[in-house]
Amino acid sequence: MWNLLASLADGGSLNQWLQETYWLWPVMEIIHFIGLVLLLGGLIVVDLRMAGHLRVIKPNATHQLLPFVIAGFVLNLVTGTLFFVGDPGRYSINIGFQIKMVLVGLAGLNALFYHLKVSPIMSNWDHEADSPLLAKCVAYTSLTVWTGVLLTGRLIPYVGTG
Amino acid sequence: MLTTLENTSLALWVGESLWAYPSLLACHIVGLAIVAGIFSMRDLKLLGFFPTLDIAAFRHLLRLALLGFAINAISGFLLFSSQASYLATSIPFLSKLVCIAVGMSTALVLQSRLSFQLVSGLESASVDRATQLLAALSLSVWVGAIIAGRLIAYIF
Repeated sequence: MWNLLASLADGGSLNQWLQETYWLWPVMEIIHFIGLVLLLGGLIVVDLRMAGHLRVIKPNATHQLLPFVIAGFVLNLVTGTLFFVGDPGRYSINIGFQIKMVLVGLAGLNALFYHLKVSPIMSNWDHEADSPLLAKCVAYTSLTVWTGVLLTGRLIPYVGTG
Repeated sequence: MLTTLENTSLALWVGESLWAYPSLLACHIVGLAIVAGIFSMRDLKLLGFFPTLDIAAFRHLLRLALLGFAINAISGFLLFSSQASYLATSIPFLSKLVCIAVGMSTALVLQSRLSFQLVSGLESASVDRATQLLAALSLSVWVGAIIAGRLIAYIF
């Protein structure tokens, strides 16, 4: 699948522009880092509360952070796609990138599960009580998988084709 | 002194081991997400976002933020040790250190202001002007630290 996407991107005008504009890569990397801070920073609060910590926060109040989490994700989806289009041959065969994409997919499924099963019942939670086991599982899965995304993403320049 | 640091067995291990440098970078980005993530959410709260999120949450999160800082101080020092004399003259690297110093000092000042406000029972809605300015400063220097940190690899 990644090879197919790589062949589509290679040689296109966007691919050439990304390769020829020398300042673009560092600028996109900076945006990618700011995006990950918004994404992870928001999720640390959301997930720790969901897991039953930080009980001074009303369970529902963490929903206010989600726009920042989503904004961080969108920034990184856009810059991440541009990285791939800018250097498709390098990313498509990279084991770090491939594992990272699987983890992002898992995080997406986990977020979908949160949206469908956990978020709707959060307003019924007792402010003081511990969180349901299901919510704890979703919260810790989220933090673990996103940490994996950070680790594998940072290793992309250092690992090969596996 | 910097050359001495570079020639310690630890620094040589960081520079020569196949996996030490990448593993330290991987730790460093997790620490970055924790520190800058928690502090930026706190700053956004102080600047008026998340109106019903209790600011006291960030007093509890300070310990986690400090853990993230410890991870990055250690991984950062080890990364630095392998190319100390080069980094000591790198403008982006030095700018990054200044940003981090300002960010951490601001965090400590904000922490004591928040504790004082919470003890005196002030509502989180009434964040005073000075606290807001500190939050804006903090947010700027963490963005600055990220920009400068990334530019270390590009500007010599």
